[in-house]
Amino acid sequence: MIMRKLTLAAVGGIATLAVALLAVSPSQAQQATEIQLSYSKGQFQPSELRASADKPITLRVKNLDGKAMEFESKSLRVEKVVAANSEGVINVRALKPGRYEFYDDFNEKARGALVVQ
Amino acid sequence: MRATIRSGRYHAIALCAAASLCCGEFGAARAEDASSWRDIETKYIFGFTTGSGIGLEGEKEFTIDTIGRFGKRDGRYRATETKYEVEFTPTQFIQIEFGALGSTHHIAGVTDLDDRKQFALSGAFAEFRYLAIERTSSNPLAVTLAFEPTVRRIDETGGERVRNYEFETIINADLELLRNRLFAGFNLLYEPEVTWGTSGAVEREAKFGGSAALSLRVASNVVLGGEVWYLRHYDAANLTAFTGDAVMLGPTLYLQFTPKMFMTAAWNAQVWGREIGNPVSLNLAEFQRHRARLKFAWEF
Repeated sequence: MIMRKLTLAAVGGIATLAVALLAVSPSQAQQATEIQLSYSKGQFQPSELRASADKPITLRVKNLDGKAMEFESKSLRVEKVVAANSEGVINVRALKPGRYEFYDDFNEKARGALVVQ
Repeated sequence: MRATIRSGRYHAIALCAAASLCCGEFGAARAEDASSWRDIETKYIFGFTTGSGIGLEGEKEFTIDTIGRFGKRDGRYRATETKYEVEFTPTQFIQIEFGALGSTHHIAGVTDLDDRKQFALSGAFAEFRYLAIERTSSNPLAVTLAFEPTVRRIDETGGERVRNYEFETIINADLELLRNRLFAGFNLLYEPEVTWGTSGAVEREAKFGGSAALSLRVASNVVLGGEVWYLRHYDAANLTAFTGDAVMLGPTLYLQFTPKMFMTAAWNAQVWGREIGNPVSLNLAEFQRHRARLKFAWEF
């Protein structure tokens, strides 16, 4: 009996997660706002980006430097290594209004922010 | 016995006070730098209490997480369980973890437990975490729902061969009280389990409880804090046969060595407890006198 209950609870939990995963996907499928930024001489340009709330965002990060960088943001919950002289594409969920900071994880001084309104 | 209990309680309070003093000292010295600190992942900054963080999409992590339990009412009791764990974050809302369990038991002269000195590969687990409420610059609260099925072939407490299935469900919440500096963490736990012993006897039990923690970032890579847990034990999965409860209290520490490597440490002492039908101080039948946690993680 108890095993049946535990199994049911496990199945229920997995089903909840599956639904949650599916619930996340449609927002990514919405038309995303595309934002471009470049990384040059160890700095983001521009260092402050703007986007509308409640719409998914595609960030295109062009690394113009001769070494790899890692675009990372705890509040956006994304990280992506972008090789030297190449472009990285980062898909971000629809965001609530606020300020979301990002940085290069390989370079303490390279920082920027996405302001969502 | 009472002197030992009192000494343990004073030790815990003294450590919390020392941690608070350290927080104050570092806090004042570093206050002007705090605005330049990067955001912090809150999952590991509260000790035994787990924060709401689920990592970053695309991030993978390997961790070694050891929890030690020390002290029963009599004899000598030391037991540890280590999780060798892989974590990954497939979406911006979900984190998945899985791994193997290793355990050690050093038991001598403890009532109701066999003497034992052993190390064993004791089981496996998986954890699924879903971020239900996310923190933004205008909302300081974040909440994650998690469940963790675990299977063991070695009893967590006594070390004997068993077949044990546990299903931990937990709500992890945290609140950013001061931007990037001061955080409060809360957990609500329900952990039913069923165990088959070698004799064929079946034991059903559950743990239910919650915690509150406060952590202050005293430097960009150091977080100090304290936490309190209240735990209840039942001899039934549906919380009908209450057998005792306990309050655990202690300090916590989080240290980030590099952007990709960190450790967390915590120590809890039982400061209050009761066993139903046994008029003694503390609950050392279902819980331990002390517990400690040491976790190392590498992101890749």
